Amino acid sequence: MVRKNIYTLGLLIILTVSTAFISNNFSDFSYLIFVILALSCVKFLLVVFNFMELKKANVFWKISIVSFLIIFTITILLIT
Amino acid sequence: MAFTEVNYKNLYYPPGGILLWILIFLELITFGIALIALVITSKESPELFHQSRLTLNTTFGALNTIFLLVSGFYMATTVHEFKQHNNKKASFYLKLTMLGGFLFLILKGLEYYLKINAGYTLGYNSFFTFYWLLTGFHVIHVMVGLVILLFMRQSIKKETASLEDIEASATFWHLCDLIWLLLFPVLYLIL
Repeated sequence: MVRKNIYTLGLLIILTVSTAFISNNFSDFSYLIFVILALSCVKFLLVVFNFMELKKANVFWKISIVSFLIIFTITILLIT
Repeated sequence: MAFTEVNYKNLYYPPGGILLWILIFLELITFGIALIALVITSKESPELFHQSRLTLNTTFGALNTIFLLVSGFYMATTVHEFKQHNNKKASFYLKLTMLGGFLFLILKGLEYYLKINAGYTLGYNSFFTFYWLLTGFHVIHVMVGLVILLFMRQSIKKETASLEDIEASATFWHLCDLIWLLLFPVLYLIL
């Protein structure tokens, strides 16, 4: 479990550095917002399912959190 | 101390407790609506919001994200060690968790100090009103989380802590990560 969390942390750090790097260096890229939000969603889900152990929870909680994330991300994408 | 095995698959017993998860959803919805309001407001004067966003230090934001994520990792390790009845290790990892939180607050304090010195206060423009309110409320969550963790450390030391307490505290601490993971991209990267 600890080993799995170490891999998760490594991936989270890589994704964080990547999003900051992409935002700073590819500001003219057409799908910039989509890429940044998609990477942020992956980070969010990694924390929820691995660190918070939601993967062990009832499916209701999993569906609820994923639904929230999808609604939030799509709303931001539609507005921008 | 023997722990009662909790069936997390039961709808009413998610890891951390149902009340904490109701709180998590309320908090995420509140911050989510505020972030959507920020993006809608930015459409009224996109250039002002873009220029204001560029004054934020992305490196500080990314570093703060890493502090919270590493802290979250140590929190998960604390819970794991506590379940294994390794109270000394759990206490040690809890200290590392709190260190991550303190580093976050120090860097946030430095960021706030630089912003105030540059004149970017709450009333400077709409972007900074959102910036101060959103990050300010998040900082309050981190502070409250640190106080909870401080009490948890004392409980672990005195061997009076229960698994439910530790899991609930951990869930609240991870909530701080989750809120920041929504704030960071919208506030620092995409406007």
